[in-house]
Amino acid sequence: MLSLRVAWRFLRSSAGQSALIACGIAVGIATQIFVGSIIISLQANLLDTTIGSAPQVSIEAIKESDPVRFTPAMKDVVYNDPRIKPGTVAPVRSVPALFSNGTDSATLGLIGGELKELDGIYKISDKTLSGKASLGNGEIMVGKEFAEKYGVSAGDSIALALTGGQSGTFTVTGIFDLGSSQFNGRQAFVSGKVPQNVLGWANDEFQAIDVQLIQPYDSKDVASSWSSRLPGVSVVEWQGQNASLLAGLVAQSASSYMIQGFVLVAVALGIASTLAIAAVQKTRQIGILKAMGLEDKAAGRIFLFQAAMLGVAGSALGVLLSFAILALFSLSPAPFTISMDPTFVAVSAAIGIVVALLSSIIPIRATSKLDPIEVIQNG
Amino acid sequence: MADAPETAPGGALDGVSASDDSGTCDFGMLLAAKNLAKTYGEGEAATQALRGVTFDLCNGEFASIIGQSGSGKSTLLNLLGLLDTPTAGTALYHGIDSATITKPARAIMRNEMIGFVFQFHYLLPEFSVYENVAMPALIAGKLPTEEIRSRAEETLGMLGLDGMSGKNANALSGGQKQRVAIARALMNRPAILLADEPTGNLDTTNTNLVYDLFREISRETHTAFLIVTHDRSIAERTDRILEITDGNLVADVRNSYLPEDR
Repeated sequence: MLSLRVAWRFLRSSAGQSALIACGIAVGIATQIFVGSIIISLQANLLDTTIGSAPQVSIEAIKESDPVRFTPAMKDVVYNDPRIKPGTVAPVRSVPALFSNGTDSATLGLIGGELKELDGIYKISDKTLSGKASLGNGEIMVGKEFAEKYGVSAGDSIALALTGGQSGTFTVTGIFDLGSSQFNGRQAFVSGKVPQNVLGWANDEFQAIDVQLIQPYDSKDVASSWSSRLPGVSVVEWQGQNASLLAGLVAQSASSYMIQGFVLVAVALGIASTLAIAAVQKTRQIGILKAMGLEDKAAGRIFLFQAAMLGVAGSALGVLLSFAILALFSLSPAPFTISMDPTFVAVSAAIGIVVALLSSIIPIRATSKLDPIEVIQNG
Repeated sequence: MADAPETAPGGALDGVSASDDSGTCDFGMLLAAKNLAKTYGEGEAATQALRGVTFDLCNGEFASIIGQSGSGKSTLLNLLGLLDTPTAGTALYHGIDSATITKPARAIMRNEMIGFVFQFHYLLPEFSVYENVAMPALIAGKLPTEEIRSRAEETLGMLGLDGMSGKNANALSGGQKQRVAIARALMNRPAILLADEPTGNLDTTNTNLVYDLFREISRETHTAFLIVTHDRSIAERTDRILEITDGNLVADVRNSYLPEDR
């Protein structure tokens, strides 16, 4: 196609200028990808810290002191929901206990369940700092802050007073760190039998059925659909209980979009002004081509192709540059790792190309309007 | 003489009615300028560059337009070349009224029927000699690449530019550049070549060379030539002289000078 050929030749004849425009686009797209990836990774990290090791949807009894019966019908609903992260259904019972070491005392929430099921939610095995992950009879796992505060180590025995006047001695099998000092200091894991005996509940009766989701933001939909299918229970989800966190995430996203938007506007203005200058520089050539019979549309396409070529080259360069920036960033002691979502990178590169194409509107219109006689008369 | 050149172009001009106005031409009427007028500006600042010029030109005719600087001869040529639009009147090519066709159709007519040579060569510095010459055919987009290549080489050969096709247009001398511009104007085998002071920037040797070439091409291809000049000695080398004064066609004479080899 002639317009494409002419566009390429024009770009090549002003190689320095073309390279500068491509670099401008590249810097813009790299910034867009870098800022976007930082925000996405930061939010993912924040989300993981907050709810990555916690229930995202819980089925509870309507009255707090009542148990929830994990009936076959309920199991059918829960286990067959494709939105559930595999292996993350944990029926749990919990009871409060009082710890005392003679000088100090503290309340400790005992979460009881099967280690395998609890691992699905809390990842205790992965987060055991010392000792081992084990929740057999008479065994307990306590948090890092609790262990440090009361001088407890793996292998120690601790005495706990349970509700209803019961008491027991437990062997500390492991110390965990779930990333939350509040959780580490106030919660402990025991066998499911411990709270079951205290509460006097049947084998299918639990405090809550906790689950995690493949997509945490599906929690509202999941809770809503389960509520309608499971009468007589309450389904709570993390978004409803973390309104301030959600507001923070939304505000963070909004500021990220704003930064990315301004970057794109800056890129668009840069390309548009440079292409407009290029159009003025090539006015003579365009006029000559038109005098030879090149139609307005074909003349306009020259700058559309130029913009497309610059957009593709600049965006590709921008993606490479963003890889380099992220590689450099990974060398710094950041508290979280930045990962690049291939879809986000592809969308950013596509946006770069679209912005470049849109930026060619002004030179295309100017070129279309150009009358060859203006060039011929003015030399 | 060989057969007359092709007449009305096809493509976007199909369906446009053409009147039969062949007059006394041996090979048919090519161009009819009818009361062409051009005014620049408006109100008190208005300047009448052309005041209603009417004449006919036959296929293959070798003619010139002469006049003083500012007389309106270049304006007339630009109107005939469909580069500019007249304030009044019209130009008909093979009976097709250029005032009634669309802008894209005018572009096609310029591309297929008309060749231009200006005082300045107007070559595209980004392209090679071959690409510059081939450009009108590339714009038309009708011929296969091989045919464009062979026709461009043939046209360059006709103008004594063999072996120059790979060079950059900027690497040529002034005379060579102007000959490349002529080759480009002839690339689509136009019915008419409009030349505006084509030797204004050339020395005497190159000037003579260019006019000898024009005469030879006219004889070999039956392309009509309309050459604008302010130099009466150049005009006298053509078969017909149209004289413009103050925007009016004041004389239209057949030249008595006939080269011996005509």
